[in-house]
Amino acid sequence: MLELKNITAGYDTGRVLSDVSITVPDNATVALLGPNGAGKTTLLRVASGLLKPYSGEVLVDGADMTGKPPYKMSRAGVIHVPEGRGVFPSLTVSENILLQAAAGEFKAAFKTATKTFPVLGKRSNQIAKTLSGGEQQMLALNHAYVGEPTVVLLDEVSMGLAPKIVAEIFSYLSDLKSKGVAQLLVEQYVGQALKMADYVYVLNRGRITFEGVPEDVSEETIMTSYLGSLAQ
Amino acid sequence: MESFLNYFIPGITDGSVYALAALGLVLTYKTSGVFNFAHGATAAAAAYLFYQGYVEWNWPWPLAFLFSLVIVGVFGGLVMAQLARLLSTAPTVMTVVATVGLLVLISSLMTAIFGASDKKSGDFLPTRGPRVGDVTISYGEMMITAFGIVTAISLMLFFGRTRLGRATTAVVDDPHLLSLAKINPDAVRRLSWIVGSSFASISGMLLAPKLGVSIGVLVLIVIAAYGAAAVGLFQNLTWTLLGAFAIGVLINYSPRWFDNTDSYFLKSIPRNIPFLVLLLVFMVVPARHLTERGVRNVRPLKPPRDLPKLWNAAGLAALLVAAILVPQVVADYNITVYAAALGFTIIFLSLGMLIWTSGQISLCHMGFAALGATTAGKLTTVGFWHWLPGIGGHHPSWPLAVFLAGLIVVPMGAIVAIPAIRLAGIYVAIATFGFGILLEQSFYLAPVMFDSGALVQNPRPGTDYTLPTTAHRLTTVDGHLGGVFGISFESDKRYYYLALMVTVLMAVIVLLIRRARLGTLLRALADSPTALETHAANTTVMRVSVFALSAFMAGVGGAVVAGATQNASGAPGGTFDYTVSLIFVAVLGFCGRRPILSPVLAAVAYQVLKIYSPFDKQWAIEYRGVAFGALAILVAIWPALKIGESLKQRGINLPTLPRSTGPAEPAGGHRMSRSRRAASAEFVDDPNDFDPWDRPRRTAEPEGPPPSATAEALDGTHA
Repeated sequence: MLELKNITAGYDTGRVLSDVSITVPDNATVALLGPNGAGKTTLLRVASGLLKPYSGEVLVDGADMTGKPPYKMSRAGVIHVPEGRGVFPSLTVSENILLQAAAGEFKAAFKTATKTFPVLGKRSNQIAKTLSGGEQQMLALNHAYVGEPTVVLLDEVSMGLAPKIVAEIFSYLSDLKSKGVAQLLVEQYVGQALKMADYVYVLNRGRITFEGVPEDVSEETIMTSYLGSLAQ
Repeated sequence: MESFLNYFIPGITDGSVYALAALGLVLTYKTSGVFNFAHGATAAAAAYLFYQGYVEWNWPWPLAFLFSLVIVGVFGGLVMAQLARLLSTAPTVMTVVATVGLLVLISSLMTAIFGASDKKSGDFLPTRGPRVGDVTISYGEMMITAFGIVTAISLMLFFGRTRLGRATTAVVDDPHLLSLAKINPDAVRRLSWIVGSSFASISGMLLAPKLGVSIGVLVLIVIAAYGAAAVGLFQNLTWTLLGAFAIGVLINYSPRWFDNTDSYFLKSIPRNIPFLVLLLVFMVVPARHLTERGVRNVRPLKPPRDLPKLWNAAGLAALLVAAILVPQVVADYNITVYAAALGFTIIFLSLGMLIWTSGQISLCHMGFAALGATTAGKLTTVGFWHWLPGIGGHHPSWPLAVFLAGLIVVPMGAIVAIPAIRLAGIYVAIATFGFGILLEQSFYLAPVMFDSGALVQNPRPGTDYTLPTTAHRLTTVDGHLGGVFGISFESDKRYYYLALMVTVLMAVIVLLIRRARLGTLLRALADSPTALETHAANTTVMRVSVFALSAFMAGVGGAVVAGATQNASGAPGGTFDYTVSLIFVAVLGFCGRRPILSPVLAAVAYQVLKIYSPFDKQWAIEYRGVAFGALAILVAIWPALKIGESLKQRGINLPTLPRSTGPAEPAGGHRMSRSRRAASAEFVDDPNDFDPWDRPRRTAEPEGPPPSATAEALDGTHA
């Protein structure tokens, strides 16, 4: 279980998150929604150790991991698939998989990867930057399959992809869910995210403005959150 | 066959040593994105330490070897890893300033401690061995070759096959992503730097018995590694290894091709093979294969703080008044030093324009200056070539000679710009570094430049001169150079004012260019060449123009410097030595990025300070390179040290200069372009803002699409 308690965080230019608390229980899919600039990515960066919070706690299965570097968070089972394409562009597909896998587990990881994403098998010797956007995203997503995670942080993994590919990506996310991997999902496709989620947080201007089960999320909540500034 | 073996065997032995050095260089560059210009100096430092242990302290050689390896390879590697970490988000130009600074620092330190003369470390490996025909293959050579090959192959297997090995490439692509993949990027970087520095150290120690322990020689020889690295396109370890062997064999075998020639240039070719290979690779290999490592994570250089117009004008006026008063207040015997400083100011002005305005780097500026100095000297004393119609044999006046001296350097600047047209910044720096050394080794002592005496007479206007005999001139020649408008500039004071006039003229050119459309275009070029091209600007012409103009000014500067001393020396270690180009980059690096003030400060630091106490003391002169190098490194890593931030946290605010206000600022000048502002809004480029765990930070989006510097240039707002 991943718990973020009373997180306040930001950059030198100013505070982005104020006293944010969220919980991602084991086996659950939690959606984190909100407009651009709400602090969703910042919250994921705090959760994976890429950003140290000013205050608050990050707990993984009850153990305090606040301020730990990302590689330690990752070893604790928190896998972050970052915004953009989370691949090493200069390395081949199989070299990327080698780094995603735990030490000594490459063969098993490669097998899993090519079984889950057959296209990666076909392109195993290709340099990652020469893959299409969808293929790169599948390679990035593969980290969640082979990295032995307890919780996966997914930051807009559908961004910039064709609708057909987006549907494919979401089917992989459902598959991950069925395997019992907890997910913290940041998504622009609100409908899809709500369909998958067990629990929802809405973040606006660095604060949680709503939390509850997807059924309780009204269109008005979403509209106020995303278009709040316009409505006012 | 036997004669071939005679060259082939030492060639392969040398090749395996070059391979070690080259693999270390490629490895650290691949891993950190920082090209280490101090790699050769690391090798030399290891050789000196080995010499100290083995010869001075009489230690058994394995102990001395291990001692040097631990100090330079392991501890040096850890220091380099830390330095590279601090430079990981620095722009290319600052990484060059830092590593060139380190080269200057180490060279100066070694010379200060061990003296300038060569040391002999003696053969510590067995020199006996079996004979194949006429050729003896020593056990020492066998050991070196076997060690080189086994190490190189193990390294290739490790980096090609293992998870940690692949992480060395991944760490430059995206250290944060690597960290998310359970690998500590800092540990990967440390490992690479320790291996890289150790390889450099071993190569330095292995070369020492053959070449002697000399900083100049070892730095240059390890540069053979540059050629090998270029064959591997600074990426591929296998090709680097093969390149090293090929260069080793060619260096040993090729002198026999030029046995029967008198040409100084042809005879110099064998020792320049690494540079020729390097330049060839840069000329012919498609640019897409020579991409810069690690540029994804770079933050743009923060422009110098904008000062109010009045401050700028007052500052420039004060500088000018101070310069005019110099001969009235300083001792007469020091005026020549100040006159030479004016010449150096011109060279620094041209270097600053190139580096800070257009973002291109030159490590061969003293080569330009040397050509300017020799051309001006020869035109005023020997005159135009006799075969030239109309003007043959005529002696031009001093101003015309200086102008022509600048002009003749222009094509050279354009040639040097060829890699700049094609390649990314770091490769331009490497190419100019190679070019500077090539020029010194192949042309300085040629008749067209300093000639065999390594000295050219540069009379001041209105003075008599005597040309000494050389290999090509068997009698001395006496002559008189006319004054300028009938005025003689023989006295130091008068020559100082003449030099000041030329310097002011060059400074005006620099300011005019900055304020003109070209200046904005150049800054846009430094900002984003691609964006500039999409605005239909011809970046090729711009790159060549700015290099050519910079070369012109350096040529003029060289002529003015030579006029101060009334001769120019092309001897190794002299005014125009290639190492001075490196020192200049380091010195300019720590004197700031202002177009006029920084070059003036740099010239004062380089030329004037040394005549005043305590900088005139022996120790201060010996260690000044150490200070220059350390300051250059400090400036390059300053943003990453976050000193200002930690002081702020303790409630101490550093004093700041007032900013220029209002939108109606002069076009060009120091003004931060709107694209820069947009960039700094998006990527916080506060010098105190650095977090190795953090990406360039995104903040609120700027309001509306900001017009770029390119757009400003092209829509004429700055025209």
